[in-house]
Amino acid sequence: MRKFLIVLMVILAFALFAKQKIVLNSYASDPAPKKALAELVKMFEEKYPDYEVVVNTFAHEDFKTLLRTWLNSPDAPDVVTWFAGERMRYFASKGLLEPLDDIFTDKRFDSYFPAAFKSSCEYKGKIYFLPQSWYWWGVYYRKSVFEKYGLKTPKTWEEFLKVCEILKNNGITPIAIGTKYLWTAAGWFDYLNMRINGLEFHKKLTAGEIPYTDPRVKKIFDYWKVLVEKGYFLENHPSYSWQEAASFLFRGEAGMYLMGQFIKDVAPEEVKNDLDFFRFPIIDEKVGLYEDTPIDGFMIPAKAKHKEAAKFFLKFIASKEAQEFYAKSLGRLAANKNVPAPDAHAEKGLKMILASDGVMQFYDRDTNPEMATVGMNGFVEFMVYPNNIDKILENLEKARKRIFKK
Amino acid sequence: MKRRWWVPYAFLALPLTMYVIWVIIPIFQTFVFSFTDWDGVSPTYHFIGFENYKEIFSDPYFMLSLKNNIKWLLAFVLLSVPAGLGVAILLDQKFPGGKVYKTMMYLPMTLSFVVIGQIWSWILEPKYGALNTFLRTIGLSNLAKPWLSDPGVVTYALIAAASWRQIAYAMVLFLAGLKNVPRDLVEAAYVDGANSWQRFWYVILPLLRPAMVIAITVSVIDSLRAFDIVYVLTRGGPFYSSSVLANYMYIQSFHNYRMGFGASIAVVQFLITFGFILLYLLNVFKREEKF
Repeated sequence: MRKFLIVLMVILAFALFAKQKIVLNSYASDPAPKKALAELVKMFEEKYPDYEVVVNTFAHEDFKTLLRTWLNSPDAPDVVTWFAGERMRYFASKGLLEPLDDIFTDKRFDSYFPAAFKSSCEYKGKIYFLPQSWYWWGVYYRKSVFEKYGLKTPKTWEEFLKVCEILKNNGITPIAIGTKYLWTAAGWFDYLNMRINGLEFHKKLTAGEIPYTDPRVKKIFDYWKVLVEKGYFLENHPSYSWQEAASFLFRGEAGMYLMGQFIKDVAPEEVKNDLDFFRFPIIDEKVGLYEDTPIDGFMIPAKAKHKEAAKFFLKFIASKEAQEFYAKSLGRLAANKNVPAPDAHAEKGLKMILASDGVMQFYDRDTNPEMATVGMNGFVEFMVYPNNIDKILENLEKARKRIFKK
Repeated sequence: MKRRWWVPYAFLALPLTMYVIWVIIPIFQTFVFSFTDWDGVSPTYHFIGFENYKEIFSDPYFMLSLKNNIKWLLAFVLLSVPAGLGVAILLDQKFPGGKVYKTMMYLPMTLSFVVIGQIWSWILEPKYGALNTFLRTIGLSNLAKPWLSDPGVVTYALIAAASWRQIAYAMVLFLAGLKNVPRDLVEAAYVDGANSWQRFWYVILPLLRPAMVIAITVSVIDSLRAFDIVYVLTRGGPFYSSSVLANYMYIQSFHNYRMGFGASIAVVQFLITFGFILLYLLNVFKREEKF
């Protein structure tokens, strides 16, 4: 009898002290964000010792293909990192995500986050995405390189071309880009389209409502072609990942790089303070200033095992202290609207966005995932064979018709 | 002792069951999926008949991938197999340090394709890569190329990387085959006045036939299922110019969420590979009848 009691007590003790497990699969594989997330998790565990968060980190590109499998698996993780917008909605529309509205029961979504974020986080009136941080895109450049050649940050397209020309004449690659994983090219497509045709047009195009063979689409490539044909882009860019191409900028062999704020994550310490950005140059004065501002965050799979614990964790992630900590460690902007910009660089980014006329996420977050692959392949092909543009656009149009027919 | 007929089946029961569950059934499932529009995400799908097959044969990237697979096949059979044979004949001679050379040649076999891909990505890097640096150093800078981003050469660069391992594979098969060539036959030919070329062509090579059949079959199958190196080095890029069927299937199924379409590519690939395996099996059966 005594033995039985001891066993019972041990079992009870385990049940009482057993921590609630939360499995978090993350794509934050670059060292800086990986460390920031680990510290954030530690903060959570210290504050709520009943919980234990197991973080599994996957290489960014692998994560994108694996997520589909996890969401369908009966052993789904409890929390996953992901992107707001179409990429989230694709899974929400298949019923693979857990609505997160409970998290906001006492307060509303807009008391945590800017109301403008809501449309990127919801599907059919329910919230499926918890925003953690967001960032801006800009043309990143080396202050020291610009100083050396007496260059000023360009405001207009003509000034921008002039800067490119001067850099090239001095043996510096004007624009770094690595297109091995395709998406970097979409940054150029987004910005040229938003500067030439404006936000409404870009929205309709990514929604599949405008043919890729439209002459206004062709116009984007006329501008792009100038940069390609003058040899302003990094040579052999399809050989490089975005990080590999960034190293040309860090070594001072390239002058500029159209990239998100996360370029700072991979910059060496001695270069970090030499990196600055300017707003993508104005092409048509009549068109407003529109920017790409992707939102990153978390989702809970519908098949997750520990949903309540996962929601509890996400509630912590939404809190001011957690958002402030993460934003500070990476210099990003917190999604929580009560958190101020963490440093002067982020302040500048925030100011640029606040002064803009409207924002999108990014090509591969704004359009259907399959269309994004076809489109981005086409953009890279164009950057290598600019004369194939008509054939490429016809191909994209064929794909658009098939994909958006569904 | 009485032989019990069911004993072999009892021993085979477990592996056969696993084989059926993990190999045979998925093959049939793939056939079924290839007639659907399943996206790999939704719980439901619709049967759409031969739509996927109609689409792949008018898809330029599918055709490109198929063509690249044929390049792989030709290179593996016409270059890797003879090269493996040549190296095996060389290393079959007894000379000081022969074992060391054998080990060095064999080393790539011990590496996984992913590791080989990583190594070659450093060798082929356009600006600071070993190959281009070497070419520039010896004054052949006009031969230096962006090996992995020039659509015209990228497939050949990938084949070269894969051949590094494939040659070692063929070599091992031929070395084993050479061990089975009776010395006295070769010596008899020598006594009869056959020169070294004749000894190779009329005595050794016919005796290597079984090894040759295996080496060619393995190379054909390996070339058709090429995936790892392509995926690690280029992901089929730039813009699909180095894609092979397995890579295109993977991208369609897992990046583009078109499981049904990917399945139809897999079926085509399966049928091609199966054709070659059938040829091989027929060959084996014919030989078994002879003995």
